[in-house]
Amino acid sequence: MTRDLWKHLILILGALIVIAPFYMMVSYSFKSPGEIDRGEGGFFGRQEMMVDERCVKLRDPNREDVAAAVPRFPNKTDSQIRDALVAEAVSDCQMRPIVFNYSKAFTEAPLLRYLLNGVIVTASIFLIQIVVALPAAYALAKLKFWGREAVFSLVLFCLLIPVHAIALPLYIMLAKIGLTNTYAALVVPWTISVFGIFLMRQFFITVPDDLIDAARMDGMGEFAIVWRVMLPTAIPALLAFAIFSVVAHWNDYFWPRIVVTGNRDLFTPPLGLREFKGDGDGSFFGPMMATATVIVTPLIVAFLVAQRRFIEGITLSGMK
Amino acid sequence: MAVAETHTPEIVSAETAQRRTAWWLTAPALALMILILLVPVVIAGILSFTDYSLGNDTFDWVGTKNYDRLFSRSTYEKMFIATFTYVITVVPLSVGLGLGAALLINSLGRIGDLYKTIYFLPVMATLLAMAIAWEFMLHPSIGMVNRTLEMSCGTFLEIIPFLKNGCADRFPLWLGDRDYAIWVICFIGVWQGFGFNMVLYLAGLTGVHRELYHAAEMDGAKSGWERFRLVTWPALGPTTVFVVTISCIRAFQVFDTIEAFWPQGGGPNKSTYVMMFAIFEKGVQQNLIGIGSAITVLFLVFVMFLTLIQRWLVERKVHY
Repeated sequence: MTRDLWKHLILILGALIVIAPFYMMVSYSFKSPGEIDRGEGGFFGRQEMMVDERCVKLRDPNREDVAAAVPRFPNKTDSQIRDALVAEAVSDCQMRPIVFNYSKAFTEAPLLRYLLNGVIVTASIFLIQIVVALPAAYALAKLKFWGREAVFSLVLFCLLIPVHAIALPLYIMLAKIGLTNTYAALVVPWTISVFGIFLMRQFFITVPDDLIDAARMDGMGEFAIVWRVMLPTAIPALLAFAIFSVVAHWNDYFWPRIVVTGNRDLFTPPLGLREFKGDGDGSFFGPMMATATVIVTPLIVAFLVAQRRFIEGITLSGMK
Repeated sequence: MAVAETHTPEIVSAETAQRRTAWWLTAPALALMILILLVPVVIAGILSFTDYSLGNDTFDWVGTKNYDRLFSRSTYEKMFIATFTYVITVVPLSVGLGLGAALLINSLGRIGDLYKTIYFLPVMATLLAMAIAWEFMLHPSIGMVNRTLEMSCGTFLEIIPFLKNGCADRFPLWLGDRDYAIWVICFIGVWQGFGFNMVLYLAGLTGVHRELYHAAEMDGAKSGWERFRLVTWPALGPTTVFVVTISCIRAFQVFDTIEAFWPQGGGPNKSTYVMMFAIFEKGVQQNLIGIGSAITVLFLVFVMFLTLIQRWLVERKVHY
């Protein structure tokens, strides 16, 4: 037991360092700017009402507002009415820091749009990868044809090339055909997953030939066999690959940074967060951390719910 | 003869049909592999000998001038230093910590799973978001790191020279300090990556046979270290080869943290000007495609070289 104790001590120390930035990110997303500056308030902050200065400034009454408010404040001078209006604005602009941070995260930048883009891009990448890789993997595993070895060697060679490394020539090609700043640019380089082909081929080799022969007897064509026989047998491997692919592309920053410039409608979540950081002055730490929390949360929650599957999927590349 | 003649056409046509379908099934994957992976490599190779830039219709051949520059200008010397410092620091540390964590967790049984979950969190999280969280952690005045260090002031911990200097003067600026910047980047790299290695090692450890430990004990390997040296480490050989390779390739591709911290110029005194950032800055932002392509080519050479070493090791030596 004492021997286990020091193990726990080391592991807990490591865990604290690993957790620290997550703790801080979530905690800051709850706190008011003052609390962040002074470093007080514990994890949740005190959640005292705070005034949104920008909101007050926006509602600063001009002469017309004052004139329009005269019936509501009879027997008062203009400056008194003005003060009353400002006080009203201040009380309307009061909110809890947590509400302030998260509402700003969604209103200062089109965060929902970014999240939607993230979903569109990752989903299309995964679907196209499957549509391209699955038939090829089946042919490489189960069909005899002249050139099969050559194609497979090509697959093995292409495994050597990380797509990020050839980002520059890809960018030039896309720019030449005028595809930068489109969804296509975000998706196209990832449509081919040599790794997916390799993985699925290894998996399909283990599928018994009898299953395929039986399907042929039933009069199924090869295309039908791929989608109606092989696909269902490959679900576990596909799921792991899906996790691998979605995590990689939801979190990817490098490629979107290159092909999307300026057009906010195409921003993926990391790009959106990056821009938020660029604009924000110091007082916007809270909303920024709220944005970061919103972006990180979906995958973390999914991971916590289906841990085993996620670890399987992410470490897929380690399978022999 | 007659029999053969009546049979052959059928067999041939069945084979031809299968061959044709096989090609249909692999064609999309093959086309995309060539277009998206091979053509860009060739393009990068060609453009690295030119002074091409986007928007120009023509370009001139400049011979090896781009490469000469890479090996003579001090900017690129800094680039190589930063890249290799990062790789040489992050790979051993993240592999070592991954192995250490895996061994500790493995020896703890089921309670260890909690640590596994925690250590894996950074692998799942969007690195860009976490980079921004780290930036706040490392903020010179309001960051959690320096605040924590300040707490040690006035206690016995001040005997540590680093803390003593910090308390007397001020604690480091971290990201703004050219002596610390690259190490902070390395730290975040290790923080983010070691959980991934840990999981691979945990998978590797399940494959080590219990009997081997008994046998080693019979042979007089009494201490834990002896057992590790004689049984565990050799058995983890294949895992280690894979873990080291993938860590190297990932380390070469570091970009997100650097772009997030220093959007311009790659850190204080270019101390964190790594290759990926150089490709992005020269090739995409400054439209100096020739030099960007030359860096791309070098990058590909490094990565392919590493993977080939890995494959060679896997085939030759590490199967005990």
